[in-house]
Amino acid sequence: MDFKIIPSTCSYCGTGCGVLFQVMDGRLIDTLPMKTHPVNEGKLCIKGWNLHEHVISDKRLKSPMIRKDGELQESTWDEAIQTSADKFKSIINDHGPDSVGVLLSAKITNEENYVAQKFARAVIGTNNVDHCARL
Amino acid sequence: MQEQVREWLEQDSVDIFLGYKMVQGHPLPHCFTKENIDEIDDLIVGNARYSLEKMATKIAAAHPELKIGLLTRDCNQRALNVLYVWNQLKPDNIETISVNCCPSKLKEHGDCSYLEPEKAAPLKMMIGIDNNMDVKAAEEFGQEDRYKRWMYELQKCLKCYGCRDICPVCFCKECSLEHTDLIATGSVPPEVPIFHLVRAVHMGGRCIDCGLCEDACPVDIPLRLLYRKVNGIVSDVFDYKTGTSADQSPFNMLGEEVTLELKPI
Repeated sequence: MDFKIIPSTCSYCGTGCGVLFQVMDGRLIDTLPMKTHPVNEGKLCIKGWNLHEHVISDKRLKSPMIRKDGELQESTWDEAIQTSADKFKSIINDHGPDSVGVLLSAKITNEENYVAQKFARAVIGTNNVDHCARL
Repeated sequence: MQEQVREWLEQDSVDIFLGYKMVQGHPLPHCFTKENIDEIDDLIVGNARYSLEKMATKIAAAHPELKIGLLTRDCNQRALNVLYVWNQLKPDNIETISVNCCPSKLKEHGDCSYLEPEKAAPLKMMIGIDNNMDVKAAEEFGQEDRYKRWMYELQKCLKCYGCRDICPVCFCKECSLEHTDLIATGSVPPEVPIFHLVRAVHMGGRCIDCGLCEDACPVDIPLRLLYRKVNGIVSDVFDYKTGTSADQSPFNMLGEEVTLELKPI
């Protein structure tokens, strides 16, 4: 019997609520709000309360998928990143960098958002950058 | 306290002990075991209150024979009594260490997180229900005014299900609050007041007035007050004191005999 309480931060949005994961025998079984966390003070929304469900869901993607011959097929990260890079390159060559837009996320960190906008401006060469929290 | 737990674990009187430990500056629930006996030096009472008995219920469901020790405040103890009555935990498998409860004017030496409740803001005082009211004061509003005030409180609901998820005595496999024939889906707030009244009715003979639901409510609905009213009726009509009576709740419908008995008038 192994039972652990693991403190973490909710990954659903940019608010950053403190959560506690209950792990029994190596399996995530439940989520609780952290009472002493300065952000959420022991409260959560329905998404936070059900974090464990998306981790253990059968529908969760465990590897990247690439559409080949009209069907999504499992693939490796190397292949997925290479395919995306090749497609981006050909689109930028044909239509110019402003044919690409980058939409950032509240589910990733401030630093990751910074890197992503840098990628849009310095690598792709476009100012088409926006963030989902601004929609 | 630490010596007692150490002794229990070493002598196998309990297989695990649920208490609190300081982790990254937060007092968090922690499962102490014989394998990590040195951790007992870190066992604390903690000033934040979690439902350790709900964790125990989940553990016992997967490991029915496991002997579980836990730290209990008054509310945990009442919840345990309800869980025994409803056959969710076996009293023989549970050992408890009682610790101080909520500090208040009545009890100065408390360690619990349910300190003096927050003072209601002026708008809430004007058009809603102050969470600190007692049942009697809340009934003094005129009927129409009272209805409007409760509806103001209930329509704030975000349908997070936090009140149910945190509740130490909510253990049903299927929950009426998720039953699509009973409560329509697809809108926030959920159907008011039916959503809250369904839960309130189910709290009759179950709610032990720990206040965790109100603690977890992101929109400060005075749930504790609502359930106190319901349990007041259970106590008046059936003479059943939830959390302290050792008998089965009058609402238990399992078995062949009807156990519902009215209090003699």
